[in-house]
Order: sequence, then structure tokens, then C-alpha cells
Amino acid sequence: MEHSFWYLHMPIAGVEIFWPGLVLIGFSVGTIGGFFGMGGAWMVTPGLNILGFPMAFAIGTDIAHIAGKSMVSTMRHSKFGNVDYKLGFVMLFGTMFGIEIGAQMIMWLERLGKVGPIVRWVYVGFLALISFMVFYDYYKAVQSKKAGRIDGEKGAEGITWYKTLHKINLPPMIHFKTAGFTCSAWLPIGVSFITGILAGFLGIGGGLLRMPALVYLIGCPTHIAVGTDLFEVMISGLYGAFTYTLKGRIELVAVFVMLTGAAIGAQIGTVATKYAKGYGIRIGFGCAVVACMASIILKQYGFDVAAAVVILGAISAICVYIISIMFKGAAAELRDKKERERAAAAFQN
Amino acid sequence: MRALFRRILAFCSVISVLVPAAVWAAGEKAAMLVVVADTRRVTSDIGKYFADLYNTNMWLFAVWAVVLTAGYGVFLGFTMDIIMSRTGLDLKSRKIIEH
Amino acid sequence: MKKNPVFWCVTLLFLVFCFGPAWAAEVSQGNCISVNDKDKTLTIEEYDLNFTKDKPYGHPTGKNSTYNIATALIGIPPVKGDVLRISYDVKGTERIALKIMNVSKQDLKKK
Repeated sequence: MEHSFWYLHMPIAGVEIFWPGLVLIGFSVGTIGGFFGMGGAWMVTPGLNILGFPMAFAIGTDIAHIAGKSMVSTMRHSKFGNVDYKLGFVMLFGTMFGIEIGAQMIMWLERLGKVGPIVRWVYVGFLALISFMVFYDYYKAVQSKKAGRIDGEKGAEGITWYKTLHKINLPPMIHFKTAGFTCSAWLPIGVSFITGILAGFLGIGGGLLRMPALVYLIGCPTHIAVGTDLFEVMISGLYGAFTYTLKGRIELVAVFVMLTGAAIGAQIGTVATKYAKGYGIRIGFGCAVVACMASIILKQYGFDVAAAVVILGAISAICVYIISIMFKGAAAELRDKKERERAAAAFQN
Repeated sequence: MRALFRRILAFCSVISVLVPAAVWAAGEKAAMLVVVADTRRVTSDIGKYFADLYNTNMWLFAVWAVVLTAGYGVFLGFTMDIIMSRTGLDLKSRKIIEH
Repeated sequence: MKKNPVFWCVTLLFLVFCFGPAWAAEVSQGNCISVNDKDKTLTIEEYDLNFTKDKPYGHPTGKNSTYNIATALIGIPPVKGDVLRISYDVKGTERIALKIMNVSKQDLKKK
């Protein structure tokens, strides 16, 4: 039995995992997620797979760690009344059903022996889309800066698709008090069903799709959309964890290692947002996504070590950058605070 | 944003069509994959308990997994809150630059 | 709002804990020697825990053991020569298989 110090035996999947890589992935997801305000779960499934987890285990473990991570943030949002529970519960049907379908698809692909390549290629497409969005966003911001516009574009006002969709008169019609609109229950159920499939299939929270859908298709006010989306992420994480565990595709040890890393990273990431300036960091984010995509392709063609080096290198680079922002900012703040106190003390004397 | 959102929608619909198509093309030769945790290699008592549970009672294992993950998440959240409030940084007046 | 879920979780944990200790099964791994579809039994030659590069599933011990597979959850159907991992309960002298994993054919490490 090779019980070398750097490798941890995963009892269920039966693989030896380079545990510092596991800690690093958890920590990076926390840091990057906390900093950019979007989950970061997109790097966990490919990351775990590259470290040596079988694909189905990577997805199950990813979705379970999302459940743990989203508990606290959902509780915070519900305290501020940002969650429309009625909407959340209606969407729950679609989300859970969708996740089950996504998970069943994974199990089916696993039986056919095709789960690895298919999920990897879907991820490549998915990450290509994210990186395109990030770079496009940056490009637009630079353009509008050049043109002298300061506030950028406010795209949300122009889109009123939800007004048309609200006219669909398919019973049951439901009034959502907190969000403040009435529509057919099938509209939120349909939206959550599609995001649920994606979440169950890729092992992500699904917020990337659900958030804009809540705003543009369902007509939710943005702050309610954020809270309700978090609530759905929590539910989808919990249900996903349950169903993937029931299918035997989860590695609890890895979930716990990653959650610990993520909790610490998330604090650093959120504190760093306080001191971050400008759009430059977005480029770094986009590059991390591209690196992740490249490493998935490397893995697909059998270059396992190269894939691990690329993905771990990229996420640690961006983490180091965020941490340096945090430490510089925090040090400056604490210095200022001390100086103010000293000045106040001198003034009193 | 509108164009981007439309692209996301298009991407998802393409996937939802392509994946089942690829699966069907592969044909049905499915045998379920069963995983048995190798409890002979687990040394810790807790690890052994969970690995045994995995082999014998998957439902209970699933309940444990969800409860423990959720509980640990909440525990970490509150612990981190306490730690961060001790650093002396002002975390209440965070100005969010852009989301 | 806050008390209810906490109370619920604690109760659940307690219940789970009470029922917990009853679950345990033995595990063995080895090379499939024969499968008897009529009697619903299966015989393996057990391997030990000495995993090496050329013998990743362990070394043969020469000890044969037979399992009742009538109620077992079976993955890829085992045939002679496959390396299997079996979780089982011992009832009297009989070993009742719970789950049978076809280790060599479904090699998870490659997925």
C-alpha cells in the first residue's frame, strides 16, 4: 500500500488523492467565489476529476460541498427578507426534478462508460461560454470608459420578456407577494427545471443561469432574485448531495476537506472585494477559466500530470493575487485606524 | 447582457439536445456499476463506520451525508464570523464595487 | 424560525445515531473462480492487502471462499477471472453477499 505522506486514501472511490491539491481547490473556490460573487463550483468538478476522482464522484462531491457552503449565506439573506419563499418553494419542484434527471443522465452515461469524455466536453463548452462572457464584459467596460460613460450599461431595463411571459394563462396562477407579481406556476417551475438539469449534470449551483432567468424571464426584482437564487442553490445542493449519495457517488472526506478550505477562502475573498479597484482582476478571472478549460482538454487526452499542474497553477496564481489585495488593503486599514486612534488620544491629552 | 443571456439559453438548449443524442448513439449496453468501499483498508473508527454504512445501508448514509454537510457548513460559517470580527476590520461598511 | 430546524436536526441526528451501530459488513476481494447460476453462489480466491504496481488488487492468498449471491446487488456480471470486491454478512457458516463490485472491469480510476 503506497501510504506516502502526500496522498490520502479515499475509502469509497478507492483512489489515492494528492491532498494538498484538494485543499487548494477548496480554498480557491472559496477565495474566487467570495471575491467575484459567483459560485466558483465550475472549477471543482473538473479539478477533482483531474486529481483522480472518477467523474461521477467528482460531480457528487462538488454538489455536496455547494450545499454546505450555501447554508450560511442563505440564512443571512433570509434574515434581510430577500427570499421569496413562495417562489422558492414553487421552484423547488422544478429544481429537484431537474437535478434528479441530470443525475440519472450521469449514472446512465457511467454505465455506458462514456461519462468522463462527455462531461468533460460539456464542461469545455460551458467554460468557453463563461470566459467569453467575462472578456466581453471587460471589453464593453473598457469601451464605455473610452466613450466617457461612467455608469456603464444598465441592460436590465430594456428587457421586458417577463411581461409577455406573465400573460401566459396556464393554471394554477400564483401571486408572489414578496417579489410582487402574478404568473402561471409553470413559468418558475420550467425555469428551475432547466437549471436543475444543468446543476445535476455538471455539479454546479446553477446560479449562473437561474439569476438572469429570475430577473429577465420571471420578472423578479434583483435583490429578491439574489436571495431566492441562493435559496434554490441551497436546496439543489442538499437534494443533489442526497441523491448522489444514494447512488453511492460521493466522497465525504473530500467534501469536508474542501468545505474547510472554502470557508477560510471565502472570508479572504469577500474581504478583498472591499479593497479591489477596477476591472483588471476580471482578466485574471477569465484567464483562470481558460486555464481550467485547457486542463480539462489535457486530461481528456491523457496528460494527467500536465492537466493537474495547469489547473492548480492557475487557481493558485489568482488566489495569491486576491490574497495580496486583501493583505495590502487590510494592513492599510488597520494602520489608518491606529493612527486615527493615536490622533484622537493626542487630541484628548 | 441581453445578447449574453440569449447565448446562455442557446447553449443550454443545445446541450440538452446533444447529450441525450450522443447517449442514444452509443446504444444500450448498460450494466449498473456497483461500488463497494474497501473497509479492509480503513483504519480510523469513524471512517470505518461510514464505509460500513456505505456498504450496508445507503439511505442512512445519505441522510448522514446531508445532515453532516449542512451542519458542518453552518458551523464553519459561524466560526468564521467570530474569527473575522476579531481581526478588527470594518466589514459592515463594505462598498461593493460591482457585482 | 430559528429554533425549529435546529430542533429537527438534533432529533434526526439522535435517531440516526441510535440506529447507527447496527450496520457493519465484512469485505473481501479476490479473483472469481466460478459462478454457479443454479445455486446462486460464487467462489473467489481471496487476495491480501499487499498492493504493488504489478499486482494492484493484492496478491493471491490461496484461500477460497464461497458466497450466496441470491439477494446481492450485482454490478457488471462477474465471470471467471474477474477481480471482485464483495461486501457480505456472515450467517452461521454461510457468507451472504450484499454487494458485488466488478473491480477489474469497471476500473473507476480511468473514468
